[in-house]
Amino acid sequence: METLLTLVTLLLALALAGISYIAYRKSHLRATLYLLIAFLLLVMKKAIEALHLAAWIERDVSIAVGVLEILVLLLFIMALWKR
Amino acid sequence: MGMERRNEILETIMNKPGITFRELARQLGIGIGDLQYHLYRLEKEGKVFSRKIGKRRYIFPAGFEGDCQRLLIAISTETRRRILLLLMEGPLTQSEIAKRLGLSQPTVSYHMGELVKLGIVDARKEGKSVTYTLSYDPRIIARVIREYRPSLWEKLADNLIDMLTGMGDEE
Repeated sequence: METLLTLVTLLLALALAGISYIAYRKSHLRATLYLLIAFLLLVMKKAIEALHLAAWIERDVSIAVGVLEILVLLLFIMALWKR
Repeated sequence: MGMERRNEILETIMNKPGITFRELARQLGIGIGDLQYHLYRLEKEGKVFSRKIGKRRYIFPAGFEGDCQRLLIAISTETRRRILLLLMEGPLTQSEIAKRLGLSQPTVSYHMGELVKLGIVDARKEGKSVTYTLSYDPRIIARVIREYRPSLWEKLADNLIDMLTGMGDEE
């Protein structure tokens, strides 16, 4: 079940990254670029968590995952920022 | 016979820039394979070129490269296509466009800015409002828009653009 949820999350994040990429190519709006990066970082974060990379690289990645989370949220705020 | 056919195809493309492969085959009553062959030859001779956008391939005569680029960017989002079709009825102000299409003012403002930059639409200031007029051949715009078939991903991307450009609207 956990694997299925992770897979769905990854697919949705990738789909949203794809949509943001198409929107960026069409409009060159900075907000779409921030969203694209945010969704890709979300994919990265989920992949790190799901693949248990912490055990593989023998290091605690909780800080890295935390930083990624903050970055994703910051990028969302930047995308919504009214220029 | 082959040469005559090719000239007929070229003439149709020159008279109808932005015609699609399917429409060209239908209008001239040519088989797909035959048309593919003649278009291949015409492209090789540098007399025509084609661009794929959405699910369709548009064919243009040589010398139309700059115009084609501008045109295809102009019609690349659903909202711009709706605005262009509306402007075919006559000049309109930004608020009139927003009202008639049910869009927010910032969204219309963003798209009008892009269309003016592309040289597809003219903006004329009249008092406090700006009136927009088509500055490009409406027949070509209508032909290209009529055949445009966006994918689901493109539709979602268009919605995202409108959502982001429409932020801050007070209505």
